[in-house]
Amino acid sequence: MRDAASDPPALAPLQRLRVQRARLADRMRPPWWYLAGAAIVWAVVFASPFSSRYLPRGVPAWPIFVAAAAAACLMQWGLTRATGIRLPFRNLRYPSPGRPVGIAILVVFLAADETEFLLIRRDPIVAALVAAALAVVAEMPLLQAAVRASRRELRGGGGAA
Amino acid sequence: MTARPDPLIHPITRLSICGLLAAGADWVEFAALRDAAGISDSVLSKQSRVLEDAGYVEVRKGAVGRRPRTWFRLTAAGRQAVQGHLAWLAQMEQAVSAGARDVRQARPRPGGRVRPPRERATGLAAVVQRPQHG
Repeated sequence: MRDAASDPPALAPLQRLRVQRARLADRMRPPWWYLAGAAIVWAVVFASPFSSRYLPRGVPAWPIFVAAAAAACLMQWGLTRATGIRLPFRNLRYPSPGRPVGIAILVVFLAADETEFLLIRRDPIVAALVAAALAVVAEMPLLQAAVRASRRELRGGGGAA
Repeated sequence: MTARPDPLIHPITRLSICGLLAAGADWVEFAALRDAAGISDSVLSKQSRVLEDAGYVEVRKGAVGRRPRTWFRLTAAGRQAVQGHLAWLAQMEQAVSAGARDVRQARPRPGGRVRPPRERATGLAAVVQRPQHG
């Protein structure tokens, strides 16, 4: 167990707080199962456009999105338990370092979804599969960038001095 | 936001706890806060109770299986007090570093050699406790 006495005593309070925030930020590292689970969730989401072609007519695609959202919430809960840090809910209007990444994730999702629908309708299925795979590959670094942005925010003090 | 000291937050352990809770997280778990602040379980329990009684920190206790889990977060009043206190500390730090720079520049340099200052101006607590003139 580290004790407060182990910190250099000459550190000024703010400098000491910066060191402690860096320690807290270092805990915000997703475990392997978080990234693996996120890849599976994105794969399921980007596979959903194929349901319009291969599922019988009248079967809706929304249960796939609900299941993916439930899995994402479960993973977020697991990440909170694993790191001991629960981040506040951020919408895109909230100014945070992760906002550009959040916008990029949304743009990639919408672009890939539309591209897949277009390709499936015109019948180059292989191209649609490639688009889906590329979308999953693109989303993963963005997710890691979002976690990095959270770490940066914790290290920077989240707007506090 | 007004930069003003808060006597409740000023002790270094409470400043650490509040500063970490104000770092951008919503809730922080006991072990995460203890490890980041570098304090013992008993110190964190005692100081968090003081902050909770003052209405600066909200505590949520739960359990995962048989293991108890305690989560902390700042209340709105606590966040305001911490931000004011941190702003005041930042002002003090700037004043101290500016003062130290002035002293270094005013000091004569015999033989052109720069002598290192005898004491570094990092002891902010000494400055804070110094009686204020004017």
